[in-house]
Amino acid sequence: MKIKGFLKDVTGASRVTKARLSAFENASAVPEKNDPIADVVAQWHPKKFDVKIVDIRDASPTAKTVRFVRADGQKLPFFYAGQFVVLDFKIGNSIISRPYSLSSAPFEARMENSFAEITVRRSKGDGFIADYVNTELKVGDTLQAMMGCGQFYYEPLRDAKHVVALAGGVGITPFASMAKEIANGTLDFDLTILYGSVASDDIILKDELDALKSDKVHVVHVLSGDEPDWKGERGFLSAELIKKYSAPDTSYFICGPQAMYLYLREELKKLGAPARRVRFEVFGQAKDITKFSGYPVALTNHVFNLTVRRGIHEDVIPAKATESLVVALERAGIRIETACRSGECGFCRTKVLSGSVYVCPENDGRRAADKDFGYVHACAAYPTSDLTIKIPIE
Amino acid sequence: MKFYKDHYDVIVIGGALAGLSSALMLADKGKDVLVLERHNLPGGIASSFVRGGIEIEAALHEMMSIGEKDNRLKVGKFFDDMGVDIEWLKVPEAYHASLPGLEVTLHPGLETFSKEIDAVVPGTYEKVLGLLNLCNTVFDSVNELSIHPMSKAQMLLKHEAFVKTAGYTTKEVIDSFDLPKAAQDLLAPYWIYVGSGFSDLPFTIYSVLMADYVGYGSYIPRKFSHEMSLKMAERAEAMGVQIEYRQHVDKILVKDGKAYGVRTARGDEIFADYVISSSYPNKVYTSMIEPPSAVPAKAIKMVNGRRLSLTAFSVIMILDDTAENLGIKDYSVFRGDTMDTDALYRDLAGLGPYRYLTCICHNLGNDTATPQGTCSYSITTLPRVDGWKTVKAEDYDKVKHKVAKQMIDDMSAYLGVNLLDHILEIVIETPMTINRYTNAWNGCIYGYAHTMDDHIIARLQTAEAESFIKHLEFSGAHAISGDGMGPAVTNGRKAAKNVLDSMAAEEAANQ
Repeated sequence: MKIKGFLKDVTGASRVTKARLSAFENASAVPEKNDPIADVVAQWHPKKFDVKIVDIRDASPTAKTVRFVRADGQKLPFFYAGQFVVLDFKIGNSIISRPYSLSSAPFEARMENSFAEITVRRSKGDGFIADYVNTELKVGDTLQAMMGCGQFYYEPLRDAKHVVALAGGVGITPFASMAKEIANGTLDFDLTILYGSVASDDIILKDELDALKSDKVHVVHVLSGDEPDWKGERGFLSAELIKKYSAPDTSYFICGPQAMYLYLREELKKLGAPARRVRFEVFGQAKDITKFSGYPVALTNHVFNLTVRRGIHEDVIPAKATESLVVALERAGIRIETACRSGECGFCRTKVLSGSVYVCPENDGRRAADKDFGYVHACAAYPTSDLTIKIPIE
Repeated sequence: MKFYKDHYDVIVIGGALAGLSSALMLADKGKDVLVLERHNLPGGIASSFVRGGIEIEAALHEMMSIGEKDNRLKVGKFFDDMGVDIEWLKVPEAYHASLPGLEVTLHPGLETFSKEIDAVVPGTYEKVLGLLNLCNTVFDSVNELSIHPMSKAQMLLKHEAFVKTAGYTTKEVIDSFDLPKAAQDLLAPYWIYVGSGFSDLPFTIYSVLMADYVGYGSYIPRKFSHEMSLKMAERAEAMGVQIEYRQHVDKILVKDGKAYGVRTARGDEIFADYVISSSYPNKVYTSMIEPPSAVPAKAIKMVNGRRLSLTAFSVIMILDDTAENLGIKDYSVFRGDTMDTDALYRDLAGLGPYRYLTCICHNLGNDTATPQGTCSYSITTLPRVDGWKTVKAEDYDKVKHKVAKQMIDDMSAYLGVNLLDHILEIVIETPMTINRYTNAWNGCIYGYAHTMDDHIIARLQTAEAESFIKHLEFSGAHAISGDGMGPAVTNGRKAAKNVLDSMAAEEAANQ
């Protein structure tokens, strides 16, 4: 065979080897450490960093807005309005993480005096950290933070130009962020917020929201409680009410308590909104896991032995049947990384080596192959026997 | 608390396909192996993610070197030999080429492929098959020589085609076949899988690409590439490998010119006889070796003298209707407004509009890819890192959306359906996304470009002289075989083989 000529054909290998060596010979000997791609990533998704609380103020009689800045004086990262921050609270021996939707706007994180805010409502007995934020957290405290997380944000390639936000309680926060960003001219869609509260006293961020009203941002308060002087909308966020504020092509964004999710799923079905136009924020940790279908209620009061393997190290800790593996680990002071705490993000991906768990069906965001090999997202998995798990070393 | 053993035989940095292949092979030979992976799951970009309850493939379009169950190619055979049991689905076609004046679907099999080209460009059958057969001969030689090296004289005798084409570009060899332009165009679409224009792409690489993909077809795992990655990791663990996730290796510890361990971002110092790095040599030699003085100037000149190959930009969508209803007919479409690979390569240095797109509808190769009534559709371009290196953080979102919109509009026009009206979920993967999840240098997924001055044959010739730090091996797209998920496995095996050979040699010397 012949390509160009015998001699040229058979000397190819030495030719290309010489070419390579001479390319190296002619190259610079100065180390090039720069990775500009990684630099952009560091501004959008930095590793965890410390934040300092600089202000705490009332957002309603029952909620507080907490403002924080980066402790090292740098600007906070870029994020999308609607995303959340994960804050790590050191309480006693434990480090407990919580995701909070940012109620401040992305542009505020990138200003000269960069800051971000979360708004947290005092709980009615079940929100250990919510109460901590409302009563113990002080200006000057330092926490670890990771942001921006989550998928609950406006995607212009997917979502309609008209968005109806359906908010309940503290679920108003991502919409407050969107509304501020729209008002700033850095986000472009028409936002109508239907905000359901029980009583006018419960309305969180009322003054801030009302100040943002414009031809692009509409805020409609809806009260379900019996308040004789109330002049606005009343009742629940029913299909009928939603329809009244919808344009022919509307995306629905929903954030609020779990009961509201269950209710709105049905209401939105009645409206006939196509699946691509309906976006729920994550469900959150199940309030009462025993209420979910298939949960082995007979085990409700059991406490199991949970063997936790990290590297070649093992600990044995107690794990209540009604608490997620993440909660058991946090109670025992064993660090596990979490973000959404709704089974979606997979940060707490954990291998179950032996024993059994119940996975909350609302929060089963696992990959198919992971299911086959006994992986769970520990925030959505509940022990149903003694078990052994392997988690990353933190 | 003690999380690690006092000592390992080998520490592997990175639990993606290359690192896991190294680990499997070493464990198979009874070595004590630790894999440190910075993400919380294995696979690197050979992964998947879940959005809105739907699992979505992150990267894998088609896997080469697998082969039918009873006639495995090297990667398929390696998985079988290691007991990594993956449910492989054969991709139905080679590709649909949508090029100026050409809309052609081609299927695997050298003869089938040649016949199908002949049907569109009559009278080319013999020549096209001749070219593909030449590719196949070179491919066989590459496979044999990688296992049984031999002298140059012997090589010329037994592997004539391999030797005689080694010094030529793809363009030079294809030109020698004197094919009409349309036939040449139909033989070019896979170029993007090796990422160099034909006037700089070694024909050796083109041969392997065509013989493997066209000759034997390609495969995907039923449960996305995560199935492959996870099964490799699970098998490795079952064979005694310790895999630790979320462990970022900061430093490779070196003494007397020899690697002896690593230090993680947590501060753990872990010791081993050998270290295999999936981190790019650029990163390792410029910021990971401790002490930095252990890095010779030659190593820096080497990384500076090599050109980074391609990164990826992908718009991945779940659509709210079936492929059939949306008029999507092919598993894979390569669409370009030219098939001049040199011109396309030059354009890839910019930020779009990109003129050469790869589109995949997984459902047409995997009937369980998405829930009923939906389908997945991805549009990918593989740009060079150059353009993306100029994007500032504050412009990143705008640039990303602009490029994505151009790609969606282009494919909407092709399909005659406005894809924007059907998006259930959309994820835009960029070089930044890749860097975020894998830490790949400059977000580059392809390692170093296959070029005439960085030829695979030259890489093999000089490999030993480029082992600048003893007991440190590299495995990943940046290693000898270059880019692709199949080659990643080969690269991982090669690194493991080097370690095993070195262990054996040192043992022999000590006796």
